[in-house]
Amino acid sequence: MPRFSPGRYAFSLLVALIFVFLLGPLLVIIWASFFADKILVFPPSGYTLNWFVRAWGMDEFADGFLLSLQVAAFATVISLALGVPAALAIERFSFPGRETIRQCLLSPMYVPAIVAGAAVYIYYIQVEILSGFQLASTFTGLVLAHSLIALPWTMRLVCASLVTANTTSEEAARSLGANAIQTFFLVTLPIIRPGIIASAMFSFIASFSDLEKSLFLIGPGKTTLPIAIVNYLEWSLDPTISAVATVQIFIIGAGLLISDRFVKLGKAF
Amino acid sequence: MAMIQAPGQERHLRSGSLVLPALFFVAVFLFAPLALILRYSFDRYDPLTLMQGVFTVENYVKAVTDPFYRNVLLTTGNISALSTLVVMLLAFPVAYYISRVESPRLRGWLMILTVLPLLLGNAVRSAAWMIVMGTNGVANSFLQAIGLIAEPIKILYTPTAVVIALVSVLLPFAVITLQSVMDSIPTSLEEASKSLGHSPLRTVVSVVLPLAMPGVAASAAICFALAMNAYATPVLIGGPTMQMMGPVVYGEIAKANNWPFGSTLAGILMAVTLILTILSTRLLSRRYF
Repeated sequence: MPRFSPGRYAFSLLVALIFVFLLGPLLVIIWASFFADKILVFPPSGYTLNWFVRAWGMDEFADGFLLSLQVAAFATVISLALGVPAALAIERFSFPGRETIRQCLLSPMYVPAIVAGAAVYIYYIQVEILSGFQLASTFTGLVLAHSLIALPWTMRLVCASLVTANTTSEEAARSLGANAIQTFFLVTLPIIRPGIIASAMFSFIASFSDLEKSLFLIGPGKTTLPIAIVNYLEWSLDPTISAVATVQIFIIGAGLLISDRFVKLGKAF
Repeated sequence: MAMIQAPGQERHLRSGSLVLPALFFVAVFLFAPLALILRYSFDRYDPLTLMQGVFTVENYVKAVTDPFYRNVLLTTGNISALSTLVVMLLAFPVAYYISRVESPRLRGWLMILTVLPLLLGNAVRSAAWMIVMGTNGVANSFLQAIGLIAEPIKILYTPTAVVIALVSVLLPFAVITLQSVMDSIPTSLEEASKSLGHSPLRTVVSVVLPLAMPGVAASAAICFALAMNAYATPVLIGGPTMQMMGPVVYGEIAKANNWPFGSTLAGILMAVTLILTILSTRLLSRRYF
């Protein structure tokens, strides 16, 4: 096939157009966050950075941003604490029901977020009635629910890096007399470190950007950033929201680029 | 294997202690809540008590016979089916391109650009589409500027807008699944087809497409399930008149406090999603070479 045939050119153009469809709106919202006009008009009469200042000055966005950061950080830690040992057991030991357990631990990814959110909400209230322990619309409740959003990402990426990691060094450590715990911390952990960093990033992002599951679980004065965005959008559409969205796009984009340095994205899915 | 020499019993004990905390966590915070709403979906609604303790299928009957809810189901099904169809048409060429691109660098960047929108979450992506499709949005301003339309046309808050936005939400998922399927199709088959004098297009249609078909079906199943469960897109892009399952489930449970009926609708979503997920897993795990 000739390298620059018209067909090949048309094919590349088609793919480029589809990427424009996918990414164009995001570029537009970033662009719009610098517009000087109060009401969004294209093209703008001038440019300003004021919307970022204004967005940060609004409690719903500043608090939402901080809450989302905290929830995502806690959820990531919990999902790593639970997911790394589980992934290790599943990839390095053989025991009955191994594949079923793997599927169970990945299953939070397959349960629709809106269903999971509804179920956890009803469950929390039922638990509160039975035990008096409040979870609905509390920080703890939100973190526990978000840990489940993060867990399958941790499982996937840590399992993937354990599968590709060579077991020879682990065997060598064992035969030289290291016990299982020493082997894990001194040999396995350094080998799979890139996978763990990437899984932490993905877990964090999955929690940070979640909207549907959190909808049911937030309380008065405790709104995550994606929910603050949706609430605001139901009433108004102005450059403030573009500024908020732009900040989220850059944070998540940075997280993605960092994790890509450790584990190539093709392996994450 | 590294730790194969440990006696069987001890090994099971050790792997148990590593796996059980995670398993316990999923059981307590996912399986138990799901079981609870499954039970609720067979209960009768009473504004004063939470659980009546009766066992009835009347909620399920209501979901399919009540004109309002039947309409919600139909709208959801139609919008999801149409979005899935469009997504597959767009995802196939992109996935094929990524899978066959020669430069690993370009491939890596295309993957990042595909995954980025997926990870941004639906709030930000809906906001972006609202700015594009609004009355004074980019689309209308552009069409007016080039003289194609005189007055702004209504795009936002129409079913078409919902389909457009849903397609963009689903596209990354479809591209990722299809791309991994196409990676597993040996390029030697395409080379053979081309050496027989077939054009690249014919090669794709008669060699790649049939081989990728299970992957296409699997990824369509996943997309349909995701579309059906969408929340932000119908609420923000469809507006208040757009009734789809996701927002209706939220309304029944969080606003109307009708837990039994809300649970029934959630149960329907869960059941369809489960069937489609199992179907797609089966299709993807099948070896076809």
